Amino acid sequence: MSAPAIESGELRDAVAAVLRDRVTPEVLEAAERDGWAAGVWEPLADGGFAAVSVTEAAGGSGGSVAQACAVLEAVGAAAVPVPAAETGLLAGRLLASADLELPDGALSTTSSPGLALGSGGLAGAVARVPWARAVSALALLADGPDGPVVVLVDPGAARITPGRNLAGEPRDHVDLDGVRPLVTAPAPPDAGVELRRRGALSRAALVAGACRAVMDLTVRYTGERVQFGRPVSAFPAVATHLVRIAEQAETVAMAARSAAANAGEEGEPAPLDVAAAAVVASEAAGAVAAAAHQATGAMGMTREFALGALTRRLWSWRDEWGGGRVWAADLGRSLAAGGADAFWPTLSRGLVIP
Amino acid sequence: MIFTPTVLSPAEDALRHEVRRWLDAALPADFRPGLGLGGRHDPEFSRALAAQGWVGMSIPREYGGAGASTVERFVVVEELLAAGAPIAAHWIAERQTAPTLMRFGTEEQRRWFLPRIAAGECFFSLGMSEPDAGSDLASVRTTATRTEDGWRVDGTKVWTTNAHLNHFFVVLCRTSAADDRHAGLSQLIVDLSSPGVTVSPIPLIDGELHVNEVVLDGVHVPDERVLGEVGQGWAQVTAELAHERSGPDRYLSVLGLLRAFLADHGKDLDDSDAAAFGRIAARLWSIRQLSLSVARALEQGEAPATEAALVKDVGTIFEQEVVETMREVAALEIDPEGETQFERLLAECVLNAPSWTLRGGTTEVLRGIAAKALTRAAR
Repeated sequence: MSAPAIESGELRDAVAAVLRDRVTPEVLEAAERDGWAAGVWEPLADGGFAAVSVTEAAGGSGGSVAQACAVLEAVGAAAVPVPAAETGLLAGRLLASADLELPDGALSTTSSPGLALGSGGLAGAVARVPWARAVSALALLADGPDGPVVVLVDPGAARITPGRNLAGEPRDHVDLDGVRPLVTAPAPPDAGVELRRRGALSRAALVAGACRAVMDLTVRYTGERVQFGRPVSAFPAVATHLVRIAEQAETVAMAARSAAANAGEEGEPAPLDVAAAAVVASEAAGAVAAAAHQATGAMGMTREFALGALTRRLWSWRDEWGGGRVWAADLGRSLAAGGADAFWPTLSRGLVIP
Repeated sequence: MIFTPTVLSPAEDALRHEVRRWLDAALPADFRPGLGLGGRHDPEFSRALAAQGWVGMSIPREYGGAGASTVERFVVVEELLAAGAPIAAHWIAERQTAPTLMRFGTEEQRRWFLPRIAAGECFFSLGMSEPDAGSDLASVRTTATRTEDGWRVDGTKVWTTNAHLNHFFVVLCRTSAADDRHAGLSQLIVDLSSPGVTVSPIPLIDGELHVNEVVLDGVHVPDERVLGEVGQGWAQVTAELAHERSGPDRYLSVLGLLRAFLADHGKDLDDSDAAAFGRIAARLWSIRQLSLSVARALEQGEAPATEAALVKDVGTIFEQEVVETMREVAALEIDPEGETQFERLLAECVLNAPSWTLRGGTTEVLRGIAAKALTRAAR
C-alpha cells in the first residue's frame, strides 16, 4: 500500500471494510481471554495499515499522521483489540526518529520514565505496556550514559506480569532489569515529548472512532426499541441523549482530525493541537458512554450487546497517555504563560498546513 | 452529518491579521469589550468598518459590497466578536437581511438597500417574535391587509433589538388566512419611522434597554417593500435562520471574559485553575473548527442546516459553562462595579448568559431539529 495516494476518508473506509466481518463478538471474547485477536491483526498488518506514517525508507507504509489517525478511527469504531496505534504511529515513528528500521511483526511502546541503560543492560520497569506479552518487540526510550536512547527489546527476555484495561486489552507490567536490548540508537532530544503527543493523539483518534460507532449503534437501537407504542427515540428526553452523543462525537472527530491534519505530510502534531484533542477526547468518551447507556437501558449493560465493547474502551482510552486533566493543565498553563493578548491569536491559528 | 476540517488559505489568514491590526488602532486601550453580538450600537464604528469594506462583505460588488466569500466574512466577524467590537448597529442588516435580500429581494430592493447596508448607513432589526409566537414562530398573528397601493400592517412584535435606533425591520406577518398555518405568511420590510409604529423598551433583567416591543397600528407598507413572494414567508424565514445559526457569535460571547481572566489571574494559576482554563480552551478550539467547517460548506453551496443547529447548541452551552467555570475559579463575590474589567464582565456575563441558549432558536428547538435529522438518517 502506498498511503500518500489515499485520502484519509478513503483509508478509514478501507480499514473499516477489512475489519467488518472479522471482528465478531466471538473474536472479541476470545481476544479478552487470550490477549490476542487472531485473524484480525494479520489482514491489518498485511495491508500495511499498522505501519502508516512510518516512511517507506524506514520500513513503513509511508503516509502522514493524519492517515495513521484515519486508520485508528476505523480501528476504534470496530473495537479491535490489536496494537494498531502502537506498531506504526507510536513505536515505528520512535524507531525512525533514531534512524532504526521497523522490524517485522506487531510492536508496542509506552512512556518509560526512569528506564535506564547502562553497562549491565537495562535497569527499571515499564508499567501498563499494551500487548507486551504478544508483540514481537518493544521500542522504548531509556536514559543512556550519553543521553536518551531508543532501545528495541525482545519481550521474551523481560519478566512480564499480565495486566489489562477495562476492555480486557492487555496492559502488562514489564520488568527490564538486566535485559540487554536487541538494538540501541541515540534518540533525538524531543523523542519523549513527541512520543507522548502521538500517544495522546492516537487515543483521541481511537475515541473519535468509537464515539461514532456508539452513535450509530444507539441511534439504531432507540429507533427499533418500542415502548409505550412508539420507538423510544421519538421521546424528546431520549432524543436529547442522541443529540448530545452526536455533538460529542462530531466535536472529538473534528479535534482529532484537525490535530492530525496540522502535522502535515511528514511532521509531528503540534503541542496545542494535541492537548486540545486529548482534553476533548477525554470529555467526549465519558459523556458519550453515559448518554448511550442511558438511552439503551438495561440492554446496553449486557455483555451480549455491542455497546459494552465500545464503552469499556472509551473508559480506558480516555485516561491513557496522560488523560484529560493532565493535558488540560498543560494547555491552560501554556496559554496563561503566553498572556492575555496572545490568547485569541494562539487559539485562532487553527489549521495552517495546506 | 458532514464536518470536514478546513484550512484557512494564506489570503484568508492575511485578512485576519489586517482586521486585527485595524481593530487594535480603532478601539481605545481601555475599551470594554461587548459580549460577542452584544457589542454596543455605534453607527460611527459601523461606518468606519464599512469604509474598510468589512460590512456586508458577502454582498456582490455590483451592489456595493466586497463580493467576499463566506469564509472571508467568517474571518472578519470572528475578529470583530473576539475583540468585543461595537457591531450592533449593522449586525442584523449584514448577517441576515443582506443575504435574504440577495436571495429573495427584487432587483429594485437590492439596488436600494444593499449599497446602504454595505456602507454602514442602513440598519435593520428582526420582526419575527410576538407575544404569543416565540419558538413556535408559525403562530404569528400580526396581519397585513391589502390596500389600494400596498399593505396595512397591524400587530405587535417583541424582543426587537435596537428597534429604537435602527431604520427598518423585516416583519413576518399573515397575509391570508390559511388552514395550514405555515401558509399565508409573508415578509414585509417596514420603515421603523413610519406613522403608526410605536417602539417601547422592554427592560431586561440587567436593566439594559436595547430590546423593544414594537406596536404596528395601521402601518402602511408599499407593495415594493414586500420581501420575496407573498405567501412564501415561512420558507424564507426558515432559510434565513440557517444563516443565523452557526457563526462565531455562538462561541465568542465569552472571549473578552477569558482574556480579562488571563490578564487578572493568568500569572498565578494553580494546577486546578490551569486545568479548568485548559478545558475551556480545548473546547473553544474544537467548536471553532466545527463552525469554520460549516462556513466552508456554505461557501461551497451546501446547506448544512443540521450541522448549523448542532454547532449553535454546542457553542452556546459552552459559553454558559465558561461563565460558571470562570466564576468558580475566580471565587469572588460578583460586583457589577468591580475594580477590574474581569469582575465587571463576569457580572454582565452572569446576567446575560441565559439568553445565549434562547436567541436564534432555543436549545430545545435546536435539539429537536438535530434529533429529527439523526433518526431520519438511521431509517
